[in-house]
Amino acid sequence: MTGAELVVEILAREGINEVFGYPGGAIMPIYDALYESQVTHYLTRHEQGAGFAAVGYARSSGKLGVCMATSGPGATNLITALADAMMDSVPLLAITGQVPTAAIGSDAFQEVDVLGMSLSCTKHSFMVERSEDLAPILQQAIHLAQSGRPGPVLVDIPKDIQMGEARYQPWLADSEARQQPCQEQVNNANQLLSECQRPVAYIGGGVQAADAQAQLMQFLYKTQMPAVQTLKALGSVTPDYELNLGMLGMHGGEAANLAVQQCDLLLCIGARFDDRVTGNLTKFAPNAQVIHLDIDAAEVGKRKPAAASLVADLKASLPQLHCFVTEPNWCAHITALAQQHAWRYDYPGETVYAPALLNKLSQRLSADAVVCCDVGQHQMWVAQHMQFSHPSNHLSSGGAGTMGFGLPAAIGAKIARPNDMVLTVSGDGSIMMNIQELATIRRNNLDVKIVVIDNQRLGMVRQWQQLFFAERYSETNLSDNPDFVALARVFGIDGQCITHHEQVDEALDAMLSSKGPYLLHVCIDDKDNVWPLVPPGAANDQMMTQANSEKKP
Amino acid sequence: MKHRLTLNLANQTVAVERFLRVARHRGFKLTALELACDQDQFAVNITVDSDKPIYLLTQQLNKLVDVHSVTTAQLQQQAS
Repeated sequence: MTGAELVVEILAREGINEVFGYPGGAIMPIYDALYESQVTHYLTRHEQGAGFAAVGYARSSGKLGVCMATSGPGATNLITALADAMMDSVPLLAITGQVPTAAIGSDAFQEVDVLGMSLSCTKHSFMVERSEDLAPILQQAIHLAQSGRPGPVLVDIPKDIQMGEARYQPWLADSEARQQPCQEQVNNANQLLSECQRPVAYIGGGVQAADAQAQLMQFLYKTQMPAVQTLKALGSVTPDYELNLGMLGMHGGEAANLAVQQCDLLLCIGARFDDRVTGNLTKFAPNAQVIHLDIDAAEVGKRKPAAASLVADLKASLPQLHCFVTEPNWCAHITALAQQHAWRYDYPGETVYAPALLNKLSQRLSADAVVCCDVGQHQMWVAQHMQFSHPSNHLSSGGAGTMGFGLPAAIGAKIARPNDMVLTVSGDGSIMMNIQELATIRRNNLDVKIVVIDNQRLGMVRQWQQLFFAERYSETNLSDNPDFVALARVFGIDGQCITHHEQVDEALDAMLSSKGPYLLHVCIDDKDNVWPLVPPGAANDQMMTQANSEKKP
Repeated sequence: MKHRLTLNLANQTVAVERFLRVARHRGFKLTALELACDQDQFAVNITVDSDKPIYLLTQQLNKLVDVHSVTTAQLQQQAS
């Protein structure tokens, strides 16, 4: 068989039935091998769309996402999705065609050193130099992407290797027992847990990566420890857990941030003290000792020192923690904080209040619906005002914060989970970044619901210009946006536009009961801001709120 | 603070690029590099200079698939 046929055979052998991509000159042999193969290829309309569709597929299903592109610009267009997957630890395999081996280094047509470009945005990357390496490299790449801390792996395959003779040979990974924590560190952690009086569990994306939600919830229910989550972890703590305070950080809830600032022990479970979480790091959780659980040793002590660290698979480390019971007084204080700082939806005026709309939307969705986001104000409102029962139901570009993520991620999620409701909530800025993927939705008749929250601005940047740049609104006015409903209609997608809060209930019901894809265009006030906000350089208990920062008419 | 590290890498040119990129990106300035190649691997000695603790670099290098081993061969308590 040819190298190209071998690529497709290995994908099939590994149980990979769906891939996303865009063909071109240097990857034509692989596309020829895909023709009539059992692996289904979904054509996106831009390679970045293919990359994010693969990310959405992976994050919503827990399976490996696979994307492919040709050499040169095809490969460079994948780079942003690779960087996104790297920051959010998403298992992703990218296969790129490369110019023939003899032409590499000659500045050939559509030649880019994608291996060099991949170094900073992949967990690992390969260039196949010999046909006999193709099978072991592909199998190793598939293994690496999903093992340990997951991440993106790129395999660059010159066209002559694709066209030459190749043979399947099995590649066996070293047998890996589940990584166990060091017993001494377990003892240290349990000692700290037994001594603390005001613990808080700070939960990150590692819980989903380790598939450890059951172990986490067992621990929380037994200990009654208050819990806060990162953007990526939302859904890891189920909504019925009474001491769940939701998201912490720059746009986290006031109760979540105050609890962390007041705690005397911070149990970090698969999180990495990201700057959007900590605010001013030197003032973050100032009274707390830290116990850090992570599979990646490099995260321990990277941003904040840990008094005890369990470097292990969370499924192995969580059950080794003592199940003491948290002080009732601390729990009562947390409950009071949560009540005192509960979200409010009493918005003055006639326009649509996006947080209220999203909260109503959340109440209408079943527990297995998938909500994808883009990046900006709407993304924070989704995180604050919608509830999730599993992190695979909330797909949001966290570490990279990539505008344009939402629409293609929803495509990937719908293909991974065809029987579940899939929505994407976007903004008028973000939706335009990968708007071409409406064609992919139409081509495959994917039942994806699209909510565009439109303030005719790059809202989050506008908010920062208002608050921190003396209201100098540089390049954030998008009042010349297209008519989004008409735009959707061009792609054969139905929809409607609403401008008044009294239209919300009916519009949500119309969208959710519609057959097939639907776009709901929601016009909101351009001056609506995301609150609370921890300003740059401040501690997380120095939050700007709507009450202390602006006067509503 | 200057630190001297000894690394064993897979015998692939890109392995050298990869660990040098990590050192630069993580804030460690390269001040000396010595590299020898045999059939199986690259043996590399480097000296790096940074205000950051050296474990921040060694932990990142240990994650690289191409890096077989990292040892802090010498730790000099001298100003740069």
